[in-house]
Order: sequence, then C-alpha cells, then structure tokens
Amino acid sequence: MDKPNQNEFKPKIVGFLCNWCTYAAADLAGSSKMEIDSALTVIRVMCSSRVDPNLILTIYFNGADGILIAGCHPGDCHYGKGNYFTRRRYAQMKQVFETLNLDPGRLQLSWISAAEGNRYAEVVNAFTEKITALGPNPINQSSLF
Amino acid sequence: MSTDSKSGGRIPIENGIEQTLRKVLKESLKSDLIDALLLPVKVPSGDSYAWILMQDPALVEEEASPMAAVMPVQGAKALKSLTRKGNGSLRVAAMMRPCEVRGTIELSKLNQINLDNVTLISYDCPGALPLSDMSDAPQDTEEAFMGLLSERNFESTAVKPVCQFCTEFSMGAADVHIGMADPDTSQLLLISGSEKGTAFLSATGLKVDEEPSAWEKQTDSIQKKRIQQMDKAFQTIQPMVEGFDNLADTFSNCIGCHNCQSACPICYCRQCYSDSKESSLESAYYLDKAEKRGGISLPHDRLMFHVGRLSHMSLSCVSCGQCTDACPVSIPVAKVFSYVAAQTQQAFEYKAGKTAGEAIPLKEYKEDELKKIHEMTKSAESQESPHE
Repeated sequence: MDKPNQNEFKPKIVGFLCNWCTYAAADLAGSSKMEIDSALTVIRVMCSSRVDPNLILTIYFNGADGILIAGCHPGDCHYGKGNYFTRRRYAQMKQVFETLNLDPGRLQLSWISAAEGNRYAEVVNAFTEKITALGPNPINQSSLF
Repeated sequence: MSTDSKSGGRIPIENGIEQTLRKVLKESLKSDLIDALLLPVKVPSGDSYAWILMQDPALVEEEASPMAAVMPVQGAKALKSLTRKGNGSLRVAAMMRPCEVRGTIELSKLNQINLDNVTLISYDCPGALPLSDMSDAPQDTEEAFMGLLSERNFESTAVKPVCQFCTEFSMGAADVHIGMADPDTSQLLLISGSEKGTAFLSATGLKVDEEPSAWEKQTDSIQKKRIQQMDKAFQTIQPMVEGFDNLADTFSNCIGCHNCQSACPICYCRQCYSDSKESSLESAYYLDKAEKRGGISLPHDRLMFHVGRLSHMSLSCVSCGQCTDACPVSIPVAKVFSYVAAQTQQAFEYKAGKTAGEAIPLKEYKEDELKKIHEMTKSAESQESPHE
C-alpha cells in the first residue's frame, strides 16, 4: 500500500459478514496473508438476512461511505434459505436508494463462501476502490441533517 | 379492471345514497349471517367520524355514515383492533374505502387481522377529503363529499392529493362492492366479489344475477385518467426526493412527532427502532460529528426516520394518505411514500393489498430471481468500477 497521504480520501466502509461463509473467508484471507484494504470495518452477523434496513440506514446516515453485505452463495446458506431473503431485502433497500438517488452504488451485496479467501480480498479491495472513486458520502458535508 | 366475471344486483336509490345503503346494511344485520357491523359514525361534535361496532339495527339506520367524507382512523386499524387476537365467533361486516380494504389485506398477511369471519364491503371512492377540511368546516365538507358521490365525480381536485391520482379506487379484494361509478344513478349497484359477498347480498334479499359490464367500462375509463394523473404527479414528486439535498429539503420542517407513523395502518410494530434508545448514540459521537461538519441538527435522526419507514413499509404501502392528514407541518409525506412505494412494489411486481391470496414479497422467495442483483453479487468488481 502507498504511504498514507493527509489529503487523500480514505473511505469508511462497513461490512456485514455472515458468520458461516464470508466471515470465515475473511479469516482465511487474513491467515493466508492476503492484502486487504483497511477501509473495511467488519461486523459479524449470524446470517446476512439479519441485516435489517435500519442497520444499513443507521450506518449510512451516520456517514459511512460504503456498506457491504456478504454471505453464503445461494443454496449454501447455513440456515437453508436465509440468503434468498437477504437478496429480497437487499433488492428492496437498493430500490429505495435508487428512487431517492442516495448513491445506490454505496451499497453492495456479495456472495463469498468460506473457501474463497482470495475472492474476499478481491471484493473488498474492488469495493474500496469504487467507493474511493465515488468520494465521501454527501451526508458528511451536510450540517442540516 | 377485472379479469374474472363478477355478478351484481341493483336496488333503487330512495332518500339518497346513504339512506339506501343504511337500509341494505340494516337488513344484513337483521339476517342471521352478520352479528355486527363496523361503520363510520359522525362524532357528537360533528367534525369527525369514529368507527363504531354496531349490533343494534336501529343504530345503523339513525347514526351510520357508511361513506364518510374524511378518513380519520384508517379502517384497517379499526379492524385490527377488533381481530388482532382472532375474531372468535363474531361475524362482522365492515364498510371501507378501497385503500382501507387494501390496508386490511396487507395487515391480514402480516397476521395482524383475522379475516375468517369478516365480510369486507367497499365502494368506488371519489377520494377522501383532507381531514383538516372537516375540522375547519364540517358541514361544508360533508356536503362537498355527498356532492361528489351524487354527481359521480371522480376527478375532483378537492380530495386529498394522493386520492387524486389513486388508480385503485374501485373493487379490489372486497367481498361486496358498491359500484358508485355505474352510469345508472337511479339505482345502487351491489357487486359480489366472493362467496362471502354472494351470501351477504342474498341475506339482504338482493337478486344477484347481473353482469355489471357498464360499470366495468366506466371504472376502466376512470382508471385510465387516474393513471395519467399519477404519471403527472410522479413527475412533480421526483425532483422533491431525488438526491440527498432535495430529500432533506422536503423533510426539513419535520418536527419529529412521528404522527405519520402512528396514523399509518401498515406500521404495526409495537415499538419502532426509531423510538428506541438504540437509535441514539453517545454524546461524544455527536460532538465529534459537529466538529467535522461544522454543525449537526438535533434530534439527529429526523430524515433517517422517514427513509427507515420507507425501507420497512413501502412494499405494503396502500397510498391511503393518512400520513399527510396526520402531519402537523404539512409535509407531503403521502406523495413521497406513494411514489417510492410504486417503485419498490414494481420491483417485486407486487401491488399492496390488491389480492388476498399471495404473501408479502419479503415473506417468500424464488431460487432464481432478481437477475440484475444476482449478477452484481457474483462479480468481484462492481460493474461501474472506474479504475480498470
């Protein structure tokens, strides 16, 4: 990684990782000494479907620049069907963000299995790069709300 | 408007629409099919209506206002309070606006209403008048609404803003529907929408053997106009909500009373996250943020509250406009919610409250669906990534 620059925008990204797949993938990526961008703050959830819209909004409206939700691939959910519900919830949330034009690109849903340590690193680094390019969450510039 | 054929019957209108209706309702209560009626009744002060569960036929004839000028409490909420713990053996018929029926259907899907012994009656609704009209000038408001009904006027601009572009103003999932849009104004057309409805109509002594094709044609043509109104309205709403700044502007005078939520038939949670202490953060956090931004508004979650509600209930929003009626600072909440709800419901090809048989979108799934989102989850790179 480059030397940190004071003026360079370093995004804050929150990732909700499912305990059974993506969190294990993060572990694997770490123990395999892969390079993962430090912009991501990880929150472990038991299932990606546990991520209520209020969790996303609390983080978004408090200034996070990007939000990643990641869980098992469809069909591989530890609880059988949780990630199918995640996909529906996410679709609804994404639609609200699109309709209100609240930078829907700041939300991302990814499927990363426990064995995909390298994919985890790729997803996190690519998402960080994308958010860096998007710039800071406009909410952070508003003193009204 | 409807795909399956419906059947209806007619009774002559005597002493006005309301009086004729009262007679029909009274007959049903006297029969052994219905134990009680849930109907709006004008409150003693005359400036509002309350839902009354009636068992005395005389009360129906003297007091009921089956078609109320305004909608103070959404009918679905009234029915919820009656049947949340099951409705036992009580057989109730409730007369509601189409949006109240849709709210009822949504709440029944959310296990908040038990419809087993309930007969729902709806009518072609010209729109409800704003609640504030009724408290300002009760008599004029009531007369204005009766005027809309007797003139069969479905294009009034006096009704609530969301009512003006309501496309679901006619028969939905109700068991019995009153075809107010029917061209024959000398008779009242009653249409059966289910077995329950047919039983209800025969209990009132009505012959149900007519195919109401003239009414269907009329409602179709009203609906076409309403769709145009909706497109027009959405074009004006879009710039009000698109982008953080515009959205913040639209809700900038929100006083955080949460009346919109209390009046909403769909928001049924006992306690909302936004009312819980979990939605507040440590004071140091706010100070830090104020330092970074130069200043922040408090309470800090006013805008988040609305977006949170949109994310939680817009799939079930029936665009009844109760939120706007309840807003003390005249924010066009219902317009915004109706607009966003149209998009989220479209994403799941769902229409809140339209049909009783299906589950709400978040209660079910298909393994193979939402292609666009699914594709995005697979790639490591997001498609729009500018750095490649």
